[in-house]
Amino acid sequence: MSGMFSPLAIPASAGIGLRSPHIAEMLTRRPSAGWLEVHAENYMGDGAGVQALEKLRQMYPLSVHGVGLSLGSAQGLDRDHLERLRKVCERFEPDLVSEHLAWSVADGAYLNDLLPLRYDEEALAIVARNVETVQDTLKRRVLIENLSAYLAFADSLMNEAEFLAALVARTGCGLLLDVNNVQVSAHNLQYDAKAFIDALPAEAIGEIHLAGHATNRVGTDTVLIDDHGSRVPPIVWTLYRHAIERLGPRPTLIEWDTDVPVLDVLLGEAMWADMLTASIMFNRRQAARREQTTEARATPIRIPIEGETTTSMPVLAAFAAARAARPSISLALPPLEEEYHAAA
Amino acid sequence: MLPLEHLQTTMARAVLAVDPMIGARLLTAGNADPLARLSIYQNNTRSSLTAVLMAVFPVTVRLVDERFFRYAASEFIRRHPPTESRLAGYGAGFPRFLKSADTLSDMPIVAETARLEWAIAEALDAPSSQPRSLAEYDSTELGPSPDIVLQPSLRLIISHWSILSVWTAHQQEGPVDRNSAWTRRPERVALWRAGDSIRLVQLDRANFAFLHSLKHGLGLEHAADRALALDPGFDLVSALVRLFGDGLVTAMRAAANSHSNSWRQS
Repeated sequence: MSGMFSPLAIPASAGIGLRSPHIAEMLTRRPSAGWLEVHAENYMGDGAGVQALEKLRQMYPLSVHGVGLSLGSAQGLDRDHLERLRKVCERFEPDLVSEHLAWSVADGAYLNDLLPLRYDEEALAIVARNVETVQDTLKRRVLIENLSAYLAFADSLMNEAEFLAALVARTGCGLLLDVNNVQVSAHNLQYDAKAFIDALPAEAIGEIHLAGHATNRVGTDTVLIDDHGSRVPPIVWTLYRHAIERLGPRPTLIEWDTDVPVLDVLLGEAMWADMLTASIMFNRRQAARREQTTEARATPIRIPIEGETTTSMPVLAAFAAARAARPSISLALPPLEEEYHAAA
Repeated sequence: MLPLEHLQTTMARAVLAVDPMIGARLLTAGNADPLARLSIYQNNTRSSLTAVLMAVFPVTVRLVDERFFRYAASEFIRRHPPTESRLAGYGAGFPRFLKSADTLSDMPIVAETARLEWAIAEALDAPSSQPRSLAEYDSTELGPSPDIVLQPSLRLIISHWSILSVWTAHQQEGPVDRNSAWTRRPERVALWRAGDSIRLVQLDRANFAFLHSLKHGLGLEHAADRALALDPGFDLVSALVRLFGDGLVTAMRAAANSHSNSWRQS
């Protein structure tokens, strides 16, 4: 079965999560989208969606994202499910394969949600064994995604970022940095989101996820819910910028799972991610050039993002305006959009 | 400290609200109440699996109204959570669960319609093979009783109730007259996947038996015998033409072993 498709590499730019309401439009319109990601579990049967994805795979680089493998299950992996994942990878020959640092199966039940682990040596041994089994079965490196969490275990002996770094060192796996998940967990469990990103081994991060979340207030508790049901909010864009400044461009996915909007909204969000990355890299090159002209000797490049307003492109002016805008969650986005339309 | 497997079992039971007892001291959530945060996981599991069932059983939802469906679904989820993470198989037991619900004992049509909708869900997830035409076999020696292989998505359902009429009446928007919509009247339904949609056909006894025999690999002769036994007026030629015309035949070959003989001997 292998060799059905030409190997399309996922670029270090934005792609979109393929959702069933958009499949027909993707097939007929074939819009410009850097790459596609699908949930593995949706393509384990033989329905019409599978045939549609085979067609799309000929046109777009593909990432397969598992949500049901339960890598953190102490009882071990469901071998039947792993075999189904192997067949999906064999069938579609994706360029990237990813799963979550979470568990969703225990006591014979699949909870259809991603639950957090107690981060300690016992869990690390279990997850490392499971990740090695997956990598051996799929004969490839997989990316492991950080979790959005509402709870943690009191007896954890390390934090999630330390756990992921140790997992990378032990198994050679890569990481999928979900920036929205970082924001959700950092808010809900009260830690520093940027410090979390900085603690991950940068070279292992092979993909980034972006999505929206909901804000629920229950009594005095404000909890962020990872519902993938809205545009990427400004606070997540800010965190994404922090990540890109540290990592450089990475394949970046726009995820949207509830109240899925029209396809163009997803494509628009993907374009935003590309423009933000482009502006960061542009500023970085400008800064490097300035440093070269003012100083003859080579010095490490520092990236002066905050306060940087001298740009020559309308898109960069838009970002400069956004940066200068007050960091109000609801007000920061509209000026960006206005500038975007003006520039387009 | 609990071993991880024990901890996960405890937490899974708490999430499914089977055994909500989990020590709050095991959990933290910043300044928030960890047990209040646990309810987010309970809600995620219940609402996401309810959404799965609502997508599979849309007509059933309308028959009982959404609030009752959600209640029944959450009971089903609590008692019969999915056992595997591929959710395409989740809901197979839901029609039987509805049938056993006391509240629905005077509305048997609900569980029966759910049974039809589950068959549709199965067909949508089944492969679709290349249909064959009758002309392709013009020069093939097929013997007196060839085996006919039908589309793997074909499902055959028989009910004492008017399930197809009810299902069809609920395909358009707007109110459906509940009282006149369902009656005690046997309906035999064949359904299969055609591209990304489903075709449903109501059959008489003879044609149902004909398809049923073919689907179970009993061969053309046996299928025709059974149909004729039920209806002496059964028209085999028309049935075959319809079978090919509907794209249901994926292969036809000379019988390896004559099923009809072994059936007659048994």
